[in-house]
Amino acid sequence: MYGIAALQPYVIGLFLLWAALMKLLDRRMRAQAGQTALGRLVGSARAVPALRLVGVLELAVAVALLLPPALPVEGAAAAVLSTGFLVYLTYAHLAAPASSCGCLGAHSRPVNWRGFARAGLLLVMSLVAVQARLYPVDPWLVVLGLAEAVALLGLSAELDRHWLMPLRRLLVRLRKPLAVPSSQEIPLEVTMRLLYLSPAYCSASARLTSDVQDVWDEDGLRFVVYAAGGRTAVFAVPLPGDDPSAIRVALTDEPALI
Amino acid sequence: MTSRRQLLKSAVLGGGAGVVAATALGSLGPEAAFGAAAPDVEPGAPDPDFAEGRIRSIKDNTLLVLGSNMVFHNIRVVDGTSLWKLGPTSFDQARPGDGLYARGVRMPDGVLAAESVWLNIVNIKGHVSNITSEKIHLDHKGQEVLCHRVAGKSIAVYSDAPPSADLSLLRVGQHVQILGAWRPDTNEVDIATVFSPH
Repeated sequence: MYGIAALQPYVIGLFLLWAALMKLLDRRMRAQAGQTALGRLVGSARAVPALRLVGVLELAVAVALLLPPALPVEGAAAAVLSTGFLVYLTYAHLAAPASSCGCLGAHSRPVNWRGFARAGLLLVMSLVAVQARLYPVDPWLVVLGLAEAVALLGLSAELDRHWLMPLRRLLVRLRKPLAVPSSQEIPLEVTMRLLYLSPAYCSASARLTSDVQDVWDEDGLRFVVYAAGGRTAVFAVPLPGDDPSAIRVALTDEPALI
Repeated sequence: MTSRRQLLKSAVLGGGAGVVAATALGSLGPEAAFGAAAPDVEPGAPDPDFAEGRIRSIKDNTLLVLGSNMVFHNIRVVDGTSLWKLGPTSFDQARPGDGLYARGVRMPDGVLAAESVWLNIVNIKGHVSNITSEKIHLDHKGQEVLCHRVAGKSIAVYSDAPPSADLSLLRVGQHVQILGAWRPDTNEVDIATVFSPH
């Protein structure tokens, strides 16, 4: 147990150090500070100073945690900071549900469960860190520390484009979830896009008063029927076809519907 | 229906042309073609010939629709009305709860005689956050919208290439615009067309 406690200051410290450096050094993050929930909380004019202040606080706690000696007050400070994060996330979720949290990097996604889970995990780790004493290095502790770091990073939506998106792309390439359908049937929308480009449609479109009323395929042609005021416009589109000028149109007096 | 189709078919194959000659429409001037359709509506005022909302009930051929501004509309659907629900469809596909846009002619008794009705039509932009079996997970301003491919209906338009039924060129992370039919009271959409910038 003391071993686990002794490990926590390093994991929390490195994580907070990263967060602090992002806030203090990342220009994009400063540029977007006004659009985050922090900007909503303190006003967009004071968003950048507030961001810097949080960054300095995080840096101070991180340095204290990483440098010996391990004191209970350091874990307590990290716990207070984590509680602050949770309160801030709750505020962001309620008051500015469309804003991003501005925690670890510039992105536009609003606060979601992952942000809460990350702050909650930090809080639990900080509470454990209060118990930290000097303890010899143990390989199992290194594994646990890495696992915690992976969990914290995995819960950071800011990093998704570095691992989650490439992973999903790879899975899509392997599984081909949208493989080309085997059916030879030509979707109506394909015909419609061709129709919209045709001189026939352009010459008649100002007269059309409805959307498509009827469609059927016959003799290698697809017929598309519209209302055109009191009359009926009928288009004949060759199937399959990619030449808009081959489309024919006729305006007829409305035949009786049977 | 068959004989009407035969009539229309013979019209377009017998007398049909590549373009409609202006004389066939009665006038050669463009102002006649476009001026006739000019809406006589004050800017900012609601268009009386248009309605939007969700279907509350269906009685015979009339839809009772509650608009998003809490105004009720009675919309009459007749034989000549075009209905769209992921494509041209028939009146019996309309369900209470469906969202709609309708255009037509306002009758003196306040009923809108519809020429066109679009059911559940949506147009959303966002990023593809994931692609799973027959589905595109769209991140629309932080909200996930589940977009289903419908075999034989969904198509993709890549940049200015001809449209195709092949959606497999879409990539996770890219921006898309999706035209489709919302599944009422869910975050799910059936895809009519996906527009991809590349």
